[in-house]
Amino acid sequence: MRKHVFYLISVLVAILELILFFWALGNGTPLPFVAGLFLGIAVIYLSRLYVEEIIEDERVQKIREKTAYSTLQISWIALLAFSLWMIIEGSAGRFNPELRRLGIFGIGLFMVNAGMVIVFILLFFYYRKQYGE
Amino acid sequence: MKNRIKVYRAMHDLTQEALASRIGVTRQTIQAIETGKYDPSLSLAWKIACYFHTTIEDIFNLTCPEEPGE
Repeated sequence: MRKHVFYLISVLVAILELILFFWALGNGTPLPFVAGLFLGIAVIYLSRLYVEEIIEDERVQKIREKTAYSTLQISWIALLAFSLWMIIEGSAGRFNPELRRLGIFGIGLFMVNAGMVIVFILLFFYYRKQYGE
Repeated sequence: MKNRIKVYRAMHDLTQEALASRIGVTRQTIQAIETGKYDPSLSLAWKIACYFHTTIEDIFNLTCPEEPGE
């Protein structure tokens, strides 16, 4: 498969996902969209395997690794600050249900952030073992 | 890292695109190596050297880093 065909498939999948998203939004049913999202990702992943031209080499991988790590670091800091801000804001209004909900959401966001850190540490140890330790 | 890939390409009458496809990387990677913006891995340097039937040292300018205090 040519590189251009792969890009065309990717764009088509993206358009279909967008249509499905708005359809799900109008109907209030998230399940078809989530299923379609996984299917779309699978289609892109599988079609990528059949591309004959080179679209990824060690330099692209290195760029991706550095970009991913920097994005993760920025996301951690931003999420942590945002979640703590919501927790503090929420704790100020114990008797206000709106602010209370904000605080609970902040705690949830903080837990997601902590989960990301745990996944990172587990993967770090996994790859450290894989690359000789 | 300075290198002589451009010289070897000229000797073999190869474009960046042609060399890239023969050693399995993108044209942008060859360009980045030639301009010194990207240092290739040992295996890629080996592939390039093998393709031109020469040694890594002949293509890449490998000098030992100076130790502090020297």
